[in-house]
Amino acid sequence: MADVIRVVVTGAAGQIAYSLLYQIAKGDVFGHNQKLALHLLDIPPMMGVLQGVVMELQDCALPLLQEVIPTDSVDMAFKDVDAAFLVGAMPRREGMERKDLLAANVKIFKDQGEALDKYAKKSVKVLVVGNPANTNALVCSHYAPSIPKENFTAMTRLDQNRAQYQVAAKLGVGVIDVRNVIIWGNHSATQVPDVANASYTKNGESKRALPDLDNNWVNNEFVPLVQKRGAAVIAARKLSSAMSAAKAACDHMRDWWQGTQSGSFVSMAVISDGSYGAPKGVIFSFPVTTSGGQWTIVQGLTVGDQVRSKLELTAKELLEERDEAMAVCEGKL
Amino acid sequence: MLMTSGLFHGKEVIPTDSVDMAFKDVDAAFLVGAMPRREGMERKDLLAANVKIFKDQGEALDKYAKKSVKVLVVGNPANTNALVCSHYAPSIPKENFTAMTRLDQNRAQYQVAAKLGVGVIDVRNVIIWGNHSATQVPDVANASYTKNGESKRALPDLDNNWVNNEFVPLVQKRGAAVIAARKLSSAMSAAKAACDHMRDWWQGTQSGSFVSMAVISDGSYGAPKGVIFSFPVTTSGGQWTIVQGLTVGDQVRSKLELTAKELLEERDEAMAVCEGKL
Repeated sequence: MADVIRVVVTGAAGQIAYSLLYQIAKGDVFGHNQKLALHLLDIPPMMGVLQGVVMELQDCALPLLQEVIPTDSVDMAFKDVDAAFLVGAMPRREGMERKDLLAANVKIFKDQGEALDKYAKKSVKVLVVGNPANTNALVCSHYAPSIPKENFTAMTRLDQNRAQYQVAAKLGVGVIDVRNVIIWGNHSATQVPDVANASYTKNGESKRALPDLDNNWVNNEFVPLVQKRGAAVIAARKLSSAMSAAKAACDHMRDWWQGTQSGSFVSMAVISDGSYGAPKGVIFSFPVTTSGGQWTIVQGLTVGDQVRSKLELTAKELLEERDEAMAVCEGKL
Repeated sequence: MLMTSGLFHGKEVIPTDSVDMAFKDVDAAFLVGAMPRREGMERKDLLAANVKIFKDQGEALDKYAKKSVKVLVVGNPANTNALVCSHYAPSIPKENFTAMTRLDQNRAQYQVAAKLGVGVIDVRNVIIWGNHSATQVPDVANASYTKNGESKRALPDLDNNWVNNEFVPLVQKRGAAVIAARKLSSAMSAAKAACDHMRDWWQGTQSGSFVSMAVISDGSYGAPKGVIFSFPVTTSGGQWTIVQGLTVGDQVRSKLELTAKELLEERDEAMAVCEGKL
């Protein structure tokens, strides 16, 4: 264990970071004995608010937190970091075309990729939360060629946690008693929640979930609910998910850093090697196990026809996003 | 959203706008909601609005909660809201009603640690006396800290001028400083302090350490009886005990009188509102 690890969070003055920073500083991600330094990055207009966040982190009196560096400079923010949570991204505004959004995000993730390349540790683990997460992660990696592509991931863990809860509630067990629900593909409406390989524990006995779930419920209620949950939370809160998004980011990074449990796998969007027919070279959510800081795609799982056709749709969307993003990148050179 | 975070210890979540449902069989209560001060609101309007809230909740606690319920009031004015709440829950021991000064304690602890160049965990026994308001009394006279494995008193290693003219006002005004920066009041740190307060009450304090909780005063240290006043306490077996015999210097003593006076005034105003309503 290193004496102190350095962690950068972008969008640090925002809502998700407000929950996330606390969970990281508390020790939930990197371990309850791991000392931390936090680098907080946001845009210049947010520096006043960010100072308020720094004050609150101090006022939390958290034992592991050694240092907090608030900044609007990517160079300072990414210096020597071991882990990066890229939460900040350009949100869609009214009247904004998809290509405007993409152009704005390419700029952000290009700058951050270049800074990671120059200043971060080569072992840095990067989790992109800011949407469109998969493609933002791809762009970021593109501009950080000296850092292994495997180090760039995007978050589908919120979708996994949501799916896990729904299955647990349906089966009448605790959420911890459900394992191996998969989210495939893009963190978007084309994501593919899949219970074909899930199992659960009831009365001390481990069983497959699918035989005990009604097919109609799975396809017509569960899948759409998970796909649209983000919108449902916005409609209720009038704000997007922050608490649960932050929790999911912690779960993703913690499992990557500390390893998954034997017999369990988790969903992470990682650089695709073509497994399960997914296109190579996009960031695609797969079931993975983790150990020693490395993720490995779980091979040999069942993929039914319904899931397979949905995989094709999400793959197509990711290829389109990649092409658009690369066109913007090349236009900028 | 709480459910989908996959927090596997949670068994059930009941959202409601009914105090009867909310307080049914509860073992612990965090009373965070209160009427915030709005522009043009007089102090007496704020008090009247809060008396109504904490009367309703006190009555519901009295009717529905377990008699062992531990109550932490966070919503301001916390001390007086806790007093009102307790007033309307006569079947629940007065000792079960507390108000939060733990945020002030955590803030103070960080400032002292930073000044001494140690980790926040290495500072102990900073006290917050009195009301959770601008009259609170941060006090380091009994604080100690660990440096290079050695435990030492803090005060001798702190500049008196810094303590009285920088540290005390900073802690007293920290809430306002956070609002000025964030444009919102402290949430993260307030929530953390509420957890610390309830956790220490529930699970017990460490040997050699005490914490600050606003509890029903028995007159210790010259504080008026029958108000909710923040004292240094230890906790064990779910009970708090005021730490006796600590040093109280003259500067601190005169500040204690000010905060006590404010609490008595708040109590009198609140009781007048309560009686007006009967």
